[in-house]
Amino acid sequence: MLRYFAQAWAVARKDLLLEARSRERFVSMATFAVLVAVVFSLALDPAVRARDIAGAMLWVTVLFAGTLGLGRSFALEREADALTGVLVSPVPRGAVFLGKFLANLAIVLAVEAVVFPVFALFFGLRFAGALGGLVLVVVLATVGFMALGTLFSAMTAHTRHGETLLPILLLPLLIPVVIFAASATQRLLVGRPLVEIGGNLRMLLAIDLVFLFLCTAAFGSAMEE
Amino acid sequence: MDAPAVEARGVEKWYGPMPAVRGIEFALGGGEFLTIFGPNGAGKSTLLRMLCGAVRPTRGTVRIAGDDVRGEEEGWRRKIGLLSHQTFLYPGLSAAENLDFYARLYSLPDRKARVAEALRGVGLLDRAADRVRTLSRGMQQRLALARTLLHDPEVVFLDEPYTGLDPHASAMLRAVLDRLKDGRRTVVLVTHNLSQGLEQADRVAVQVGGRWVSDERRGQIDPARWERDYTERVAAAV
Repeated sequence: MLRYFAQAWAVARKDLLLEARSRERFVSMATFAVLVAVVFSLALDPAVRARDIAGAMLWVTVLFAGTLGLGRSFALEREADALTGVLVSPVPRGAVFLGKFLANLAIVLAVEAVVFPVFALFFGLRFAGALGGLVLVVVLATVGFMALGTLFSAMTAHTRHGETLLPILLLPLLIPVVIFAASATQRLLVGRPLVEIGGNLRMLLAIDLVFLFLCTAAFGSAMEE
Repeated sequence: MDAPAVEARGVEKWYGPMPAVRGIEFALGGGEFLTIFGPNGAGKSTLLRMLCGAVRPTRGTVRIAGDDVRGEEEGWRRKIGLLSHQTFLYPGLSAAENLDFYARLYSLPDRKARVAEALRGVGLLDRAADRVRTLSRGMQQRLALARTLLHDPEVVFLDEPYTGLDPHASAMLRAVLDRLKDGRRTVVLVTHNLSQGLEQADRVAVQVGGRWVSDERRGQIDPARWERDYTERVAAAV
């Protein structure tokens, strides 16, 4: 079991090292998210209180920005066909999935750490008093998003129209994550207590467990030629 | 009796209605060097990828040292190494980081020493910290060879390893491959380069249209005549 996690960490570490060098995914996702915030701030009717729709705006932005970065996750493996080298090695497919998932999770969480303050700045949102709850929602929702996103990124990486297919396949399946995450975020932003979003957190946790289990199991088949 | 190092029984690969590999049967003993020749599109690389478990056969069985490559037990993967014309390296990582990554995947002890030794073996120790994208094609291929041999595999699969190499880099690669013929390691080489393939082989097979049309011992053939016959045989089979 220790070896399994060590191998998963080797995959995650390699992806994070490559990202730390190029910053390609982080910069493109963060830039995209900031631009969306700018567009929202210009397009929003001044009569509408941004605070009332901030949850939805935030999660739509995170979803699109995250999907943009996911497309590159397996592109790293396509250069020089490195994925074949990994798959021929004695690493369980589940460990490869876990490693890619952890790296994607870390990168998207880093992007979210930029997106939330930017939205706070543009729309006058106050996170004080809701920070703990928000962190919980963000982590739980991003885990589900990245579990499914990593699997679909692997599945579409070898198809001719992979980057177009990825959002078409992924976004409909992420609707439950968006519903529970956006409503929980919204309630926290308008000052509702953490106890009020307990149901949402439990649902997000359940979705995470189901997605992680199913995606780990399906990853091996997705890698078969 | 020891199980063959590599064994293929009725191996076939179909992509929809199109056969890529058909009815491959052979057993290779420990220390043997098999070269598989064939024209482009003969299915040689597909066969090699099935032998090392990267592609699932449509029919048939592949065993490495007695272990079915489709079985649950994956210990056989530690026994094989694959070198292709693709390097399987990450251009954004340094030479040493690439090998360290693979050493972690193989759970090798003394990673640093092992990586340094592997780099020394292919003459790249002084380029350890350089990113792979800054290395020449020949250096990248030598690094790929170091990656292939890092875990000291018993069976080495080589898929057109000379592709894109200049004569100097080819000679260096051939010298390292010669060292693989240590009587202990089994090698399967896939190529369409007749002189390079014949030179090192103990056994020679020709694959055309997915099938083996010949399988001979190297000692039984006269290279000059064989090369002439090969061209005719391939033309006839095509």
